Amino acid sequence: MVTSGIIYHVLRLLSMPVDIRNICVLLAPGFSGLTAFASYLITSEMTTSPSAGLLAAVFMGITPGYISRSVAGSYDNEAIAIFLLVFTFFLWIKSVKNGSAMWGALTALFYGYMVSAWGGYVFITNLLPLHTFVLICMGRYSPRLYVSYSTWFALGTLASMQVPFVGFLPIRSSDHMSALGKFGLKDEDCGNRLTVPGVFGLLQLVAFVEFIRQQVPNKQFQTLLRGLIFVVFVVSMGVLVLLTVSGVIAPWSGRFYSLWDTGYAKIHIPIIASVSEHQPTAWPAFFFDLNLMIWLFPAGVYMCFQQLKDEHVFVVIYAVLASYFAGVMVRLMLTLTPVVCIAAALALSSILDTYLVAENPIPKEPQSNGQARGDSVKSTTDMIKDSLRSTRNPILGIYSYISKASVVGAVTTYLLLFVLHCTWVTSNAYSSPSVVLASKLPDGSQHIIDDYREAYYWLRQNTADKAKIMSWWDYGYQIGGMADRPTLVDNNTWNNTHIATVGKAMSSREEVSYPILRQHDVDYVLVVFGGLLGYSGDDINKFLWMVRISEGIWPEEINERNYFTARGEYRVDDEATPTMRNSLMYKMSYYNYNALFPAGQAQDRVRGSKLPADGPQLSTLEEAFTSENWIIRIYKVKDLDNVGRDHASAVAFDKGNKKKKTAKRRGARVLRVE
Amino acid sequence: MRSLTLFAACLCSIFTTTAADANLSTPLSSHQILPDNFKPPQVFKNANLLRNINLEKGYVRETINVVIENIDAKEQDTYYIPFKAEAIGNVGGIEVRDKKDPEKAAFHSEVVEYDPYSPTQFYRVTLSSPLAPSTQQTLSISYHVLSALAPLPATINQQDKQYLYYTFSTYWPSAYLTEKQKTKIKFSTADIPDYTAEPLREGKTFTYGPFEQTPAGVEQEASVRYEFTRPITHATLLERDVEISQWGGNLATEERYWLTNKGAHLAGHFSRVEWARTQHYNPPTSALRMLTLPLQVGSLNPYFTDDIGNVSTSRFRSNIREANLELKPRYPVFGGWKYSFKVGWDASLGSFLRKLKKGDGYVLRVPFLEGPKMGEGVSYEKVDLRVILPEGATNVLYESPIPVVASEVSSHKTFMDTLGRTTLKLTAMNVVDEAREKYVIVTYDYPFIAAYRKPFTIFAGIMTVFATAWGIGRLDVSIARP
Repeated sequence: MVTSGIIYHVLRLLSMPVDIRNICVLLAPGFSGLTAFASYLITSEMTTSPSAGLLAAVFMGITPGYISRSVAGSYDNEAIAIFLLVFTFFLWIKSVKNGSAMWGALTALFYGYMVSAWGGYVFITNLLPLHTFVLICMGRYSPRLYVSYSTWFALGTLASMQVPFVGFLPIRSSDHMSALGKFGLKDEDCGNRLTVPGVFGLLQLVAFVEFIRQQVPNKQFQTLLRGLIFVVFVVSMGVLVLLTVSGVIAPWSGRFYSLWDTGYAKIHIPIIASVSEHQPTAWPAFFFDLNLMIWLFPAGVYMCFQQLKDEHVFVVIYAVLASYFAGVMVRLMLTLTPVVCIAAALALSSILDTYLVAENPIPKEPQSNGQARGDSVKSTTDMIKDSLRSTRNPILGIYSYISKASVVGAVTTYLLLFVLHCTWVTSNAYSSPSVVLASKLPDGSQHIIDDYREAYYWLRQNTADKAKIMSWWDYGYQIGGMADRPTLVDNNTWNNTHIATVGKAMSSREEVSYPILRQHDVDYVLVVFGGLLGYSGDDINKFLWMVRISEGIWPEEINERNYFTARGEYRVDDEATPTMRNSLMYKMSYYNYNALFPAGQAQDRVRGSKLPADGPQLSTLEEAFTSENWIIRIYKVKDLDNVGRDHASAVAFDKGNKKKKTAKRRGARVLRVE
Repeated sequence: MRSLTLFAACLCSIFTTTAADANLSTPLSSHQILPDNFKPPQVFKNANLLRNINLEKGYVRETINVVIENIDAKEQDTYYIPFKAEAIGNVGGIEVRDKKDPEKAAFHSEVVEYDPYSPTQFYRVTLSSPLAPSTQQTLSISYHVLSALAPLPATINQQDKQYLYYTFSTYWPSAYLTEKQKTKIKFSTADIPDYTAEPLREGKTFTYGPFEQTPAGVEQEASVRYEFTRPITHATLLERDVEISQWGGNLATEERYWLTNKGAHLAGHFSRVEWARTQHYNPPTSALRMLTLPLQVGSLNPYFTDDIGNVSTSRFRSNIREANLELKPRYPVFGGWKYSFKVGWDASLGSFLRKLKKGDGYVLRVPFLEGPKMGEGVSYEKVDLRVILPEGATNVLYESPIPVVASEVSSHKTFMDTLGRTTLKLTAMNVVDEAREKYVIVTYDYPFIAAYRKPFTIFAGIMTVFATAWGIGRLDVSIARP
């Protein structure tokens, strides 16, 4: 947001008054260009082949896994965060390679930017120390590592503490996103904040030990080392336990567990599980998002093992971690994508570099012959080379044009197919806005279903300025942005109880819901109903999550089982349970829907079921607006009755129904003994 | 409140100009403050008067043809038209012409400043040539009154007919003695359930009178309630920008509307079922369903957006003969509902702009309004017309067919501007869609040099960037290595 603000002001300064909305829309594609450039840079650090970087950039540019966040209009934190992620990694590798404080400082700078931009910065926070730790364990400690890590740690931590909601958490919490509720839970969190200072301390120790080793004779050094390790271990464990017990360091949060145990969220935190992006990834998703790269990826990682310099270790660690996390949550596919692009580019470029050479590899011999012609005497090394098999450089290369052509042809075909796949996925899965539904008419022309905006604009224009809208939290931002009205809960509501309250109001009977609505000053209630159009993402289909979330808070009032039939089916037709049919959500969705159809013919096209002949009756709400295709239905909450009746009897009176006389019991009087 | 409306009306008058002498460069403060005890001098009489009230649209349109006679001993040229104080703020488009010579420019008419607490306020008409004693002249006075119609009942059901209620005087409230007069009212339908003062009824027309010898200032109140099951489309504000690009040869128009339907409110809530059911046979309704904007032939690239983006329910039919933009609001606009939106389009500049034969002068002729053209009419409370001229245009003069309340020349800074574009802003109150046929004429000077300001500035800017980059690149900031 700050980024787009800055771009906006800079452009204004250059007297180019571009609408801030256009900047926001084009921010993601713009930054995806930068991401492609950053992945070029990082891949070029891995290999000497110039084509690898270019391939990585191209992959990054078109892979659906990243396109999903970089299409125009996907104005989200991820839009700039992935660029920052890749670029920070590039700077980190650069700084580890050079041991330069400047690159380290730059890493810290971009890390700070990343912290301010996206909750996923935790990924960097954990990956860099892990890399360092692995390097130390591999015995690759070097002053370069020391310089770069210390610079990054000191500056980066300071930078991240400047961000208000991070604050002092970096030094206090073991998994400091725990305080951030749903915002945090929408962003991945891969663990442990302690690793950072921990690795930092370790690095200092290692550096200290290295220093001592240079000063102290070998024998004494061994003893010293043993003592030191023991003391440090005991002290650090003691401090950790003490701090955790005394509450200075917060314990692990639920979201952290959900990363290790994918079933955890479903059981304990329904609200996390209710977000479709937090579901474990289905395996076709990998192929869908990454296509041919998914099988090039292991090859690339293998090639990293072959060279295994410091930067290759980084890629390997990144690959392992990201693959695991991508398997846990769908949305973490996003962090996997860059490393897949890098690895795939490494693999593919080495194939192409080998096969895409038109002339045959020239054996060394003619060269040495040429030398021999020049110099009459062969040097001894040359003679050894020739004589010993192990010192002889084997000539690698492909001679056969057929194999060259077939491999190059195959790779080209794969790449073309990849492009096809990417464009297909992009146009089919990631390009349609969720607010505007496009469909095709029988004659092939486009038909746009614009119900959401119709209803939101109606709210914006024709309701009181301060009218409060209650809806499920998915629509909170849309209502806030498009209808410009306050909502009870929105996409950034961290308070689970609050969301559960809305869930309870939706899933309870009118008599229970009405006091809740009154207490929260609700003026309008908005529901999404897809029954007429067959739009499956509607509130009845999300309803079970509302029930589950509110059940988590009020288990004695809401019970998920009551919404299923005896046979365990979720139904909306004649066989729906009374709890279901009396719930506010059901009533609001199907109110007056019968009137559209001939008597007894009402049909729900999403659930594919015939609805009861008598539609639900509403007494505490009245229909205020329904959009053209019935996708959005808005109800006004009635004020208290003027004469002090309850709404049900007021409605009955208005309809002219006679008040049911309570039949007097004429039985013999019985003495109550209780 | 009353003084406020009066003030607006007075403002209106201060700058009111007729087509003949409208110009920024001439001072327009010819208004006169009348003394509190002012009474129009009885120097005229209305020999014969025919008043037509047209209620076919969502506003009231009155046309009065009157034969006036100078009964004074001297030549006279000032004719007063009285209005009720509460109505004068809603009167717009007043135009007084010589009936015998309609080609001639309209007479100068303006609101005169007068005791703000008086129930009667005046428009003053200055005849172009004074009327000699005992001679007659036929005037054609026309004006429209906004917000004079009220729905009765004020709330109706979704499919009900809408009835409007209108109160008026059967005598034209003249400042002079009227010897003979007649008032005719024209309705759009014959369904007129309630009326007073016993008119002569012929189909869709009512005739009151003839009345003989009506003294000055006498009124006879009458009212009608008639069916008008059509939306009363009223724009509380219209901002209209006309932007000229002399380089691109393009005239870009953008209009921002704040519409509301002043018809009867819905009795209950909106019922989609009922609405969907009636859509098949398309009955008359008080809801605004569609707006048609006939644009100038050759208009291009129209867009129709509102605060939350493109409105997908619009159609543009363009061919050699017409360029119709059909807009459908996101939802039917019922009485009391609002809908604000923005439309814009491009057109070739050639048909609007002409260069003067000598000098750097240009003449621009654009319609004052290009808004929706509807059978039931559209009224505008306030119209802000901005004509954005090229950067560096000077000596801006204009001529407006509509009385203008305020005008201002300022600068509007947009893409790559250094000084900002010269902008002429005209504000008019109480306008109706008839202004579609009227044209604003703007003349300005645009020197040859000014056209090359922008390319030169951009060139200089880019060169500066290059030079700076080159300069920085040559700096050696590396730490000296041992």
